[in-house]
Amino acid sequence: MNTSRSKVLRTIRWVSWGLIAVLSTVLAVLWAQVRFSTEAEAKPYATPFQLTDQNGATVTERELLGKPSAWFYGFTHCPDVCPTALAEMAQVLKELGPEADKLRVVFVSVDPARDTPAILKDYVAYFDERIVALTGEERQLQQMTKARYIFYKKVGDGDSYEMDHTAGIQLVRADGRFFGTLDSHENADVKLQKVRRLIGE
Amino acid sequence: MRILITALLLLLPTSVLAHEFKAGSLLIDHPKIVETPPGAKVAAGYLTVVNSGEGEDRLLAIESTTISRVEMHASTITDGVARMKQLESGLPIPAGKSASLGDEGTHAMFMDLTRQLKAGEKIEAVLAFEKAGRVPVVFNVEKRSAQKVERHEHQ
Repeated sequence: MNTSRSKVLRTIRWVSWGLIAVLSTVLAVLWAQVRFSTEAEAKPYATPFQLTDQNGATVTERELLGKPSAWFYGFTHCPDVCPTALAEMAQVLKELGPEADKLRVVFVSVDPARDTPAILKDYVAYFDERIVALTGEERQLQQMTKARYIFYKKVGDGDSYEMDHTAGIQLVRADGRFFGTLDSHENADVKLQKVRRLIGE
Repeated sequence: MRILITALLLLLPTSVLAHEFKAGSLLIDHPKIVETPPGAKVAAGYLTVVNSGEGEDRLLAIESTTISRVEMHASTITDGVARMKQLESGLPIPAGKSASLGDEGTHAMFMDLTRQLKAGEKIEAVLAFEKAGRVPVVFNVEKRSAQKVERHEHQ
C-alpha cells in the first residue's frame, strides 16, 4: 500500500517537473521571439500619429505607409539647412524620373505656430509639388518625433525664435521599418544611391 | 560698341558677373541672396571680404532699407542636430586675408520678409565695418546654387 502510494507520488513529481521544464522552455522561446522580433522589426514609422497636410487634410501614419519614404524635419524660418535639404530631395525626385512614383518625400514642420498648412503649401511646391508637408498639434508632433528618434527644440522667445532640429533625412521602408539616413554632409551621388537601394528593395 | 558690350553682359549669368565694392583696403566680393521659396520669411545672404590692409577689420552689422531686419548667423550641424546662433561679435576680417559669410555655415539672415525675393532682384544694403565704416553695397538675388545638388551631373 505504502509502496504503491509512493510510486504514485513519484510519478506525480516526475510529471510535474517535466511540465515545469516544458513550460519554461515554451516561455523562454516566446520571450525571445517577442524580444528579438521587436528589435529586428521595429516599425517606428507605423506608430500612430495624426497631423494635417498642406491641403488641410488630416493625415495619419496609415496614409504614408505602403511605399518607401524619405522624411525631413525642419521649419520654414530656416535660411539654409532646410531649403538645402528640400532642394536636394527635389533633385533626387527629378533624377529618379518615372521611378519617383516609388518614393514619397515628406517634410514635417516642427514649428506649427508659424508654419500653417497654407504657408507650407507654397513653400514645398516651390521645390517639388510631390513633396508632402505635414504639421499639427504640438502634442502630436512630440509624440511622433519621439517614436522616430527625431530631436527638436525651440530656442529663444518672441517672434524671432529658432528651432534646433535633427538635420538628417530618414529613409523608411514601405511597412514602416527604418532603412537608413541621408546625412547632410553626404554628396548628392551617395544620397541618390541610397534612395535607389531603398526603392529597389 | 557700348551697346554690344551691354548686350553681351546681359547674356551672362549673374554668377559670372562677379560684382564687387571697394572701401579703403577692403574689397567686398559678390554679395548675394539666395532666392526664397514663396511664404518664406527669411533669406540667406553671402559675401566675401578681402582685406589687403595692415590691420584687422570687422564686419559688425548689415542694414538694408528694403528688408527691416538683417542679422549675421552661423548654422552648425553637430551630432546630427542643426542649430543656429547669432555672430555676436560680427565677422573678423584678418589683415592680408579674406573672410566670407558662407564659410562654416555663416550667413547674413534677412528676416521678416514681406514677399518672395526672386532671382534678378537687387537688394541695397549697407555694411558697417569697425574701421572702414559704412559701405553701401548691392546684394544680387540669385537662384539657389546647384553646386551641392547638381555636382554629379558634370562628371
